[in-house]
Amino acid sequence: MTSPALHLQGITKSFGATRALDGVDLRVEQGSIHGLVGENGAGKSTLIKVLAGIHRADSGTLAVDGQSFAALSPRQIEALGVHFIHQERLLPASFTVGEALFFGRELRCGPFIRRRAQDREAARLLREYFDLEFPAGALVSELDSARRQILQITRALLAKPKVLVFDEPSVSLVKREVDQLLAIIRRLRDQGLTIVYISHYLQEIQSLCDRVTVLRNGRAVAVVDPRSTSTAQIARLMVNREVGEMYPKAVVTPGEVVLELKGLSAGLAYRDIHLSLRKGEVLGLTGLVGSGAKELLKTLFGLVQPEQGSVHLQGRLTRLKSPRDAVRKGIALVPEERRSHGVAPLLSVLENLTLAGLSRFSRWGLLSSAAQVRESDRLIAELGIKTAGHDARVSQLSGGNQQKVALGKWLGKGCAVYLLDEPSVGIDIGAKVEIYRLIGRLAKQGAAVLVLSSDLPELIGISDRILVMHRGALAGEFDAREVDSDRLLACATGARELATVALECEQEPAHAFV
Amino acid sequence: MPSSEILVQPLARRLGLLLLRRGSLLALLLILAVFAVSAPNFLSPGNIANVFAQSAILGILAFGLTCVVIGGGSNVVSGGLDLSLAANLGLCAAVYSSLNNAGLNAAQAIGLTLLCGLAVGALNGFTVVVLRLPPLLATLASMNLIAGLELVLTQNSVLPTDSALLDILATGEWLRVPVLAWVLLGVALLLGLLIQHSPYGLRLYAVGEYPQAARAAGLGVGRYVFSSYLIAGLCAAVAAFCSAAFFSGSTTGSGDMLLSVVAIAFLGVVFSRRLVANIPGTLLATLLLGFLINGFQLLNIASFWVNGVQGVLILLVVAMSSALRKEEGGQ
Repeated sequence: MTSPALHLQGITKSFGATRALDGVDLRVEQGSIHGLVGENGAGKSTLIKVLAGIHRADSGTLAVDGQSFAALSPRQIEALGVHFIHQERLLPASFTVGEALFFGRELRCGPFIRRRAQDREAARLLREYFDLEFPAGALVSELDSARRQILQITRALLAKPKVLVFDEPSVSLVKREVDQLLAIIRRLRDQGLTIVYISHYLQEIQSLCDRVTVLRNGRAVAVVDPRSTSTAQIARLMVNREVGEMYPKAVVTPGEVVLELKGLSAGLAYRDIHLSLRKGEVLGLTGLVGSGAKELLKTLFGLVQPEQGSVHLQGRLTRLKSPRDAVRKGIALVPEERRSHGVAPLLSVLENLTLAGLSRFSRWGLLSSAAQVRESDRLIAELGIKTAGHDARVSQLSGGNQQKVALGKWLGKGCAVYLLDEPSVGIDIGAKVEIYRLIGRLAKQGAAVLVLSSDLPELIGISDRILVMHRGALAGEFDAREVDSDRLLACATGARELATVALECEQEPAHAFV
Repeated sequence: MPSSEILVQPLARRLGLLLLRRGSLLALLLILAVFAVSAPNFLSPGNIANVFAQSAILGILAFGLTCVVIGGGSNVVSGGLDLSLAANLGLCAAVYSSLNNAGLNAAQAIGLTLLCGLAVGALNGFTVVVLRLPPLLATLASMNLIAGLELVLTQNSVLPTDSALLDILATGEWLRVPVLAWVLLGVALLLGLLIQHSPYGLRLYAVGEYPQAARAAGLGVGRYVFSSYLIAGLCAAVAAFCSAAFFSGSTTGSGDMLLSVVAIAFLGVVFSRRLVANIPGTLLATLLLGFLINGFQLLNIASFWVNGVQGVLILLVVAMSSALRKEEGGQ
């Protein structure tokens, strides 16, 4: 029996107090396509960075082709024939195909580059590997993302690698381009290469991989054969099932429709979105990177203009031209990057809390500081913001307390619609619960709340309804009381409902993704 | 697969590109034509050679800036920029004049002057690469530092000097073309080969345009950026000899050339298919500006009009190329 192409054993890696990887094993056989799946934060990217030599593992060994190493530098690992195709297209836009393919190891004649030879060689390689013709003299900036991806794969192939690692290669590709990419990867395997394929699109994993390692919370929880395991089963393995009593949820009967989207489309990001948000309702929205959920929220923030369809706010046709415009129309925005957009870190707690509604504290253009102090002290007490006082700078607060300030500044204003983008990212458990309580209270006061989150248990806990997006379209709508993370994830990754998937796989495994 | 499907450029962008590229060439020809008709002797070989010679100082400085812009990226605010070039020229000219007057032999004086230019380049490279200051601020600071050094050296006066080298540069001719013109063309040829046709140049472009990609390709990004400042420093020293020949010694007020140098380097961008800084484009831009100044002189138009035209050109070029780049968007 031949030794595995890659064998990682007992890899452990901690960042401060958090353990990103906990004794992970990964064994990749020669000439196979090995899938690596896991939720966001499961440790996929850390594992790959350890393999690439960017991070150094705290413990564990790494073997390439039977040779064991304790740690490798990025150059050493490349010298051993392990190459990486990164998610971003690492090609300078103004380069021609030939230049982009060969820069760093140019074909030369004496001190000069042989441009013609490079272009000829590039054309030959693309024809040979992929049966593709690029227009002569095309620049990288003129190629679509799939062709840039192909160019990058070709670049890696120039080094005659033994193992190619693809890190989320399909994120910015459209369906047709993904099919092309998968066909190419299969062809590379048939030519004898070993492939590691990281993705959270389970359909791709299912149709492509020979074996799949599932990561969860920094551990490799299972190694499965995708031919005998359904996508839904894999999805179940990926999901963290601990749902505690974290989610205080007030029961509210939804009122009339406050915000309605009709047939909203924006380029490649999303298309034909119909959605309605009611008074007193918490609507969850989720989707993987590239699903369009983020862009949809940006549209409601006024940052992205839709190309088709309409937005109705309290029954009236509205155009949200900018975030300023959205705020003026009664929409409260809590963006994900709260440090840069949600709060002004250098201003005091008081200033931040009263910034959104300054007109309420001013008379004839002058601010009434007594009213500001009263209001901010009230909010600090009410939200339980842990701060030295209302004069403390927001930058001195913890992430959770900053988020409370970001939310709190809208509270006194009585907005009709709240849009929250990943409200609990980067804050500790205790603060999370308080944020959830706050969201519940907003709904109880009659506000309509839309929460975008990739934390599925959280979404189930705090929402009434959950919408899932997949590749730019609404893929499903669920009642939060009746759904579990498995089904949400299956929907977000494009796997179908449990029963149908299992059935399809038995009949015709080759068509598990369509 | 038809190639039209592969090219994903929107029509508006392609029209914009066409206008910018053809437009700038057209403008160059138009200016030549107008002056040829209205200004006496404009197209005479003597005058043309004269324009080449007079453009040498600005052109060589602009070549240096072009290299820095290529290696640092063409973003005007955060990309590569060397504002100290003109001041560096002033310092080098002063250093050469005083060394020459102090009686050092030609080789020593020339060598030390080149070293001075390189040292300033190394200082800029150090602040940008090691201290990670934005080039705009780093070179603004070094510009002031160097201008101060020059004042200390010259006591804010002109240091007249004379040497065989300066004589040849000032009055020499070959094939009835002034030596200064040959220097301009020679530097253009050398740097053109280095930047447009050698692996070094290609890598410098990669480093400037997409540092992450260059790093992923195993290139030492910092080293390339540093080397681009060294080239700029060397260009300043070479230009300093031309300037010393032109003025028979060091001059005060070399800093006034800065605006023209920046204008030329950014104007050069529009003469390339890919809208990137490049040596032949910079040469064309240098000549465009040279002919403009020369034509104005022949027509007896006040020279401060040239400043106005320069300002408008910078605005136009920077605005248009940044608008086109924005459309290109994130990759």
